[in-house]
Amino acid sequence: MLKHLYDTDCVTWSPQGKLFQVEYAMEAVKQGSICLGLKSNENVVLCSLKRQPSELAGYQEKQFKIDDHMAIAIAGLTADARVLCKYMRTECLEYKYTYESHHPVGRLVFKVAEKSQHKTQSGAKRPYGVGLLVAGIDPNGVHLFETCPSGNYYEYKCQAIGSRSQAARTYFESWFHLFEKSTLEQLILHGLSAIKKAIMEDEELNEKNVEVGILGKNLKFTHLNAQELRDYITKLEQFSPNSQIQQE
Amino acid sequence: MIFNSEISGEQQHTTSPVVTGGSVIALVYNGGVIVGTDTLCSYGSMAAFKNVKKIAQISKNTIYASSGEFSDFQQVVKELAKIDRSALQYDDGVHPSPKDYGNFLARLSYKKRCKINPLYLQNVIAGFHNGERYLSLVDIYGTYLESNFITTGFASYFCKAIISNYWNENCTLDQAKQVIRECFKVLFCRDCRAHDVIQLAYVDAQGAHIEEPERVETKWDFNGFKSRANEKLHTQ
Repeated sequence: MLKHLYDTDCVTWSPQGKLFQVEYAMEAVKQGSICLGLKSNENVVLCSLKRQPSELAGYQEKQFKIDDHMAIAIAGLTADARVLCKYMRTECLEYKYTYESHHPVGRLVFKVAEKSQHKTQSGAKRPYGVGLLVAGIDPNGVHLFETCPSGNYYEYKCQAIGSRSQAARTYFESWFHLFEKSTLEQLILHGLSAIKKAIMEDEELNEKNVEVGILGKNLKFTHLNAQELRDYITKLEQFSPNSQIQQE
Repeated sequence: MIFNSEISGEQQHTTSPVVTGGSVIALVYNGGVIVGTDTLCSYGSMAAFKNVKKIAQISKNTIYASSGEFSDFQQVVKELAKIDRSALQYDDGVHPSPKDYGNFLARLSYKKRCKINPLYLQNVIAGFHNGERYLSLVDIYGTYLESNFITTGFASYFCKAIISNYWNENCTLDQAKQVIRECFKVLFCRDCRAHDVIQLAYVDAQGAHIEEPERVETKWDFNGFKSRANEKLHTQ
C-alpha cells in the first residue's frame, strides 16, 4: 500500500483516509504491558502487570493517583504518560482551589483528549504514545474511560489495553454482566482472573509484578499492599465466576 | 476578570462605591433557604433607583444577592452565569453546586482584594443541593463563611436580635418570611439608606423561586405625628 509515501508526518492523509502517524502511535500502546479496569455500581478497580527491565531493576509502576477520586493506569511510553499525569493532577488541583470540589471525571478526560488531538494536527508535533485507563467517581456516578493517542476517548464498563489484552477482553465479554452488582472483593478477583489470562505460560502472578488500585464512592484511591495482593492471589485459586451466579 | 486597563497599567482602584444596594438578610428554614433584600439602589444619600431587583438566579438551584456597589453585583452575576453556561460545552450534564459558586466567588474576591482593587460587595449565595441547604457569605476581602443565617450591612446591627428571638433553623417558610419582613420593617425605620419595598426569594428541592416585590407594613399614624408634640410649646 505504499505506506511510506503518506506516513512521514501527522499532516498528511493517506488516500484511504488514514493518518498513519496516529495509527503508529496506537501501536505503541499495544506494546505496553497489559492494564485493565472494571467497574461496579460502587467501585472501580484497576489491575496492571508491571514489567521489570532487568533482574537488577525494580518494576515499572503503571498506576498513578490523580486525585482522591481519580486514578489512571497507563500502557505505552511512560515518559509521555508522565506528562499527561502531571497535566491531569494540575487541572484537578486548580479545580479544587477554585471550587473546593472534585474535578468531574468526564470533563478531565475530555481535556486530555483535546490535548491529544492537538498533537495530531500539527506539522512539528507527534501524538502522545500512551493510552490511559481513567478510573474516577463524581456526582454522575462511577466511571471508567479509555483515552487514545488519536484524541478519542470512550467510556467503558470494563476494558483492557496493552499487550495480550485481547485475552482479558474475552474474559470480560463472558462475565461483565456480573460486574455491576459485584462486591469490591469479587471485582478485584475478576480483574486478577482477567490478567491471569493475559500472562505468558512461564510467568506467574505475584505481589511484585501485579498492581491493583481500588476506588469507591466512599473510598479514596488506594493501592493494595503486598500482603493484600498475596491474599487475593491465593483466593484466586478458589475463585470462579460461576459461584457468583449461584449466589445471586 | 481581566480588563485591558489592568494590563496597560491604567487601572484605577475602587476606593468607595457609587451606586449601592442595602442590607441582605438570608435564613435557612426547614425546606430550604430564603433570601430577602430591599429594592433600592442609593446614589450616596439619594434614593435614586427604587425598583431594583437585587436577587439573581444563577442556576437551577442557586440564588445570589449582595449589598454594596451595584455595578459589581451585575458583573458578578455575569461571571457566575458564565460558569454555569460553560458546563454546556462539556456535554456531561454536570452543573456546579451552590458551594462551587460560593468558593469561586471567594477566590475571585480574594484575588481582587490582593490587587487592592476589590469587588465592593458583601455577597450572599444560597442554594439547595442533594437534599442539603446551603448558605454562605463572601465578603469584600474574600472571607468565606457558611452559616444558617446571614446578614449584611445595617441588618447585622439591628436584626440579629429579632432573628435570634423569632427564628430557628427548622422553622417553616412562612415563619422565616415573617422574620425577614419584621427585620426590614425595623431597618426602614432606622437605616437611612433602606426602603420599604422588599423582595423575597427562596430555594428548595423544586428549585429557585423569586417572588414579586412587596411593601412592608409600616405605621406612621402615631398621635405624636398627627398632632405634633412641639406645637403647643411654640404657641405658648
